[in-house]
Amino acid sequence: MSPDSLTRVPHDASALDRRRFLFRAGGGFLGVALGGLWAEAGEIPNAIVGPHLRPKARSVIFLFMAGGVSHIDTFDPKGNAHAGQLMDAVGFGDNLAAMKRPVIPCHRTFTRHGKSGTPVSDWFPHIGGVIDEIAVVRSMWCHEGNHFPAVIETCTGHRGRQFDHPSFGAWVSYALGSANRNLPTFVNIGRPSSPVQLTGGYLGAGVSATPFQAGPTPVPHLHPPEGLSARERDRQMELLESMNGEFRARHALQSAIQARTRAYELAARMQLSAPEAVDFASEPAHIRSMYGLDDRHTEEFGKQLLLARRLSERGVRFIQVCHAGGGNGGWDSHGDMKTHEPLCRATDRPIAGLIRDLKQRGMLDDTLVVWTSEFGRTPWSQNTTGRDHNPKGYTSWLAGGGVQGGLVHGATDDVGYRAVENPHYYSDLNATILHLLGLDHTRMELPALGPVSRLVERGGPIHEILA
Amino acid sequence: MNTGRAAEKLPAKDLSWWSLQPVQRPAVPGGDLGNDNPIDRFLSVSRGVQPKPPAERLTLLRRVHLDLTGLSPTPAEQDAFLADTSPEAYRKVVDRLLADEQHAVRYARHWLDVLRYADADERMTAAPGIHLWRDWVIQALHEDLPYDQFVQVQLTGRRSTERTQMSATGHRSQREPRPGDLFALGFLARGAGSDPQELAMNAVDTISSTFLGMTVACAKCHDHMFDPVSQADYYSMKALFDPLVLRKVTLASAGDLVAAGKAQAELERQRAPLERERDALLEPVRRKLYDDRVAMLPPDVQVVIRKPERTRSVEEQKIADDYFPILRIDGDKIDEVLTEDLRKKDRELRRRIDDLTQAIRRTNSPVIPVFHTVEADPDRAREQRYVLTSADPSRSETNRPVKPGWPFVRGPIDFREGRVEAFADWLTAPENPLFARVAVNRLWQWHFGEGLHRQPSDFGHQTGKPTQPELLDWLASELVRSGFSLRHIHRLIVTSATYQRASESEGALKPGSAEAAHHERDPDNRQLWRHPVRRLEAEAIWDSLHGAAGLLDLQVGGPSFEPGERSGTGKSTQTAATATKRRRGMYITRGFSTSREATPDFLRTFDAEDGRDPCPMRTRTVTAPQALFLMNSPEVGRAADALAARLRSEAGTDLPRAVDLAYRLVLSRPPEAKERERSLAYLENDPQRLSRFTWLLFNLDEFIHVP
Repeated sequence: MSPDSLTRVPHDASALDRRRFLFRAGGGFLGVALGGLWAEAGEIPNAIVGPHLRPKARSVIFLFMAGGVSHIDTFDPKGNAHAGQLMDAVGFGDNLAAMKRPVIPCHRTFTRHGKSGTPVSDWFPHIGGVIDEIAVVRSMWCHEGNHFPAVIETCTGHRGRQFDHPSFGAWVSYALGSANRNLPTFVNIGRPSSPVQLTGGYLGAGVSATPFQAGPTPVPHLHPPEGLSARERDRQMELLESMNGEFRARHALQSAIQARTRAYELAARMQLSAPEAVDFASEPAHIRSMYGLDDRHTEEFGKQLLLARRLSERGVRFIQVCHAGGGNGGWDSHGDMKTHEPLCRATDRPIAGLIRDLKQRGMLDDTLVVWTSEFGRTPWSQNTTGRDHNPKGYTSWLAGGGVQGGLVHGATDDVGYRAVENPHYYSDLNATILHLLGLDHTRMELPALGPVSRLVERGGPIHEILA
Repeated sequence: MNTGRAAEKLPAKDLSWWSLQPVQRPAVPGGDLGNDNPIDRFLSVSRGVQPKPPAERLTLLRRVHLDLTGLSPTPAEQDAFLADTSPEAYRKVVDRLLADEQHAVRYARHWLDVLRYADADERMTAAPGIHLWRDWVIQALHEDLPYDQFVQVQLTGRRSTERTQMSATGHRSQREPRPGDLFALGFLARGAGSDPQELAMNAVDTISSTFLGMTVACAKCHDHMFDPVSQADYYSMKALFDPLVLRKVTLASAGDLVAAGKAQAELERQRAPLERERDALLEPVRRKLYDDRVAMLPPDVQVVIRKPERTRSVEEQKIADDYFPILRIDGDKIDEVLTEDLRKKDRELRRRIDDLTQAIRRTNSPVIPVFHTVEADPDRAREQRYVLTSADPSRSETNRPVKPGWPFVRGPIDFREGRVEAFADWLTAPENPLFARVAVNRLWQWHFGEGLHRQPSDFGHQTGKPTQPELLDWLASELVRSGFSLRHIHRLIVTSATYQRASESEGALKPGSAEAAHHERDPDNRQLWRHPVRRLEAEAIWDSLHGAAGLLDLQVGGPSFEPGERSGTGKSTQTAATATKRRRGMYITRGFSTSREATPDFLRTFDAEDGRDPCPMRTRTVTAPQALFLMNSPEVGRAADALAARLRSEAGTDLPRAVDLAYRLVLSRPPEAKERERSLAYLENDPQRLSRFTWLLFNLDEFIHVP
């Protein structure tokens, strides 16, 4: 197929625009598609858009730090020249009143790491050790200054939930489908801030995230009830097939009934492949140690990242790992910046371990690792020693998958409040990820009743950080 | 491809569009009806294919039961229907089902999809008690409240003939609404959000798509691109509802309210000394933290903060309020800086206060149920309303004033009985070309899976024309003629020969067969030459599962419940013996929240909507998670065990009888010879294997499909 024919959204999308776009005025449609979520590459044409460009990344591991990491205390050092000075600030949360607040000091020490000499704070020594793989973008911004609105804005590319916009991973699922017929395309690990981070939106439940957890039951209802032998279940499945025979023959025209056979087959294959994907028995001690599985502080997140690598290895396209989700998010350090410390410790070694592990396996070339929050934190404090929400300037970083490592791009102002040099709206990050996956954001559009829907409405890839 | 482009060629904003023309009652084709149902006459005219023969009797019985009540026929009902050889047998079943309260439960669920019912929504102030609106809808359908009044009461709280009364001396006054009808206003209250104008916008969006079949909401941001609805029309319609505000109603008895008041006073009295002690303990610490924070403020702000509140000017008070979040001292902040000794004392005091609070709440304080209704606020009614080009109620605009009104009507409107009342009268009038058409089309869709007009909430230019326009108009006129009796239309549809046809289509795959030719000519079955097979909705799967197991509780109404099944917990500790009954799937809680999943896994897996927006037609997916639920979930395991126990208790060790009963309970028919044979072979003469066998039945395609 020529790239052009791929950009045109085929029949499924016309069903989609009949669907529930614009207040769901339209009718339903028969999503016979095991497509997307449980797609079977080659069997079902679920790759709806298809790659436009030559993809650099095959898979994305998206690390989401819920609550807002302070860029000032991690990747964007500002020194303390302005500490104590009053600056123009805005109130907290919904209170957008203009006020004066003092810049609070940063108590971190920064070390220049690697050949690139990129400074990283003493909270992330291990990440410092792999900094030459990482492109740090210090000039991100978004609109929303509160957690849920910002999470929605960043993960769907749209503000508010007036329309049922899909999450980023759902778009990728929809566009590319699965590379593994036994596993879902879009997986979420860890507790998200909001269910919107998992939603398929108007692209349908078929492309929403499948929550996976490290441990014996990665997916709900994966295992047959206890006390049922595998032999017995096989016998049941065989009998089921023959007992369904007459009914299926009588209703041969009903695609939904025919699709049910495949759904059961896939469920059965998942029962075999998903436990294998989450079983770390074959991982040697030195690999477990890289991810910090031998330390109680890093064990939980380490397991999640090791699972992420295993899923990426098995062809899952988009693996979203949420750290410290739930409520406003664990990184929401209003009271005291010290509360960042245990979170940094819990994630530092696992993240560095993931990058090293991907590298030694040769996977880093086509696996994109992205690290971000919904926003950053302010130079001033709400009161005393914590920092407030800051959507006007913050840091995200990328590694592998066609990204040039050892790079710092963009800058905030002297105190770390506003992105001033090469500012990038959050959509630029999304467009960059799409670009590396071989997708042109301008051609990923859905015809709907009236407006055309896109993930990225403005901006484009951050070309300066591409390898 | 761009569907918009093709549509632009149509004469936009065309008032001559078919759906805006008055409903003319068409003559039934073929003259004298005899025993024919008019529906069959309309469909036979346009049919170029040979329709299927009538469905088998038990197939039909299961179909009409699941369709009208969402519940399968019991073995006794199956026997009775087979035994009744009179020509009236089917009609008697239909009458029985339509009179059953469970029919109202089933169809209330359909209506609530388009009325965007939700139990929870973080912006939804009216969440507590909202189920009382849902229960009102059930009751209204059960009474066959005429459809025009069904809508009137939800918009105005009153039936249109019961708004005002005259005194003997000629004074007109508002009549008291019927007591239970208060709960109908949950429909409007449900849309209230953080901004007061959200209620009105939500009302316009829902009413226009649900009752009018027009996507008026498109005109929120711009004039409608295809239909004769301008942006000013949208905001005129919004102005109808702008005066409405929420009002919280407590539903407790006078005795309970008095008791609750006493309990609170008692609590405060007993807590006071402890609170004083705690304040004395913490005040110095709090003071110090506060002074430190004030010292960090700009000097001019410090001056303002140090002033006593009464002596601050309005501007100064604004400054003080702005800085409040900075000076607010949270409990954990104090806890952080306390000495070990003080912290211990503080914890002990806190524990005593908590214990006391709980003790008093437990013993003396009755639960005070509440409900939110709406009422017109006279001050808001006087305010001028404007077009909001941003569609954002929080951004005030005053450029383009609008008057209350609505599209498709010009000239002065009589608002003497109230704005919403005037609109409701126009909306529900027999002459409104859209009102009855949209309603009968929905009923048709709920019976056949698809409407005569395929876009049930959009009768505008974008969506084309219905397949059988005469039938749609005849049904619409029949709804009006019957005094808006929904039950009358239900009865007409399900007693038609069209509805009773077989659905099997095996032969359509054989090239050259007559059926293949029909399929060729009408692959989408637009002419209903065979009955469409449908998958059960989430709620009906839930009911069928628990119904067959004998675990279904048919109690009507009441607060919604969480099914209590959490993802990831593989094992259930409940056994069949201890299994408790479950209420119908209709009452499973649903809703939308950005901070937590408010619609349970089960409902989402089987495509139920979260109630955020009106849902005219549910998505239908076929996915592996659905298969995993039916294969491995504790719910299905429990139901399989309970059904097996039921079979053992009713059939003892007589396994052929157990197999027969199982088929009749799960699939509403006895097994065929081959099926009986296979089942018995699988059971290996062992009654203990029955729960494995019942699992099989729940996993059959036939279990979740209705042929």
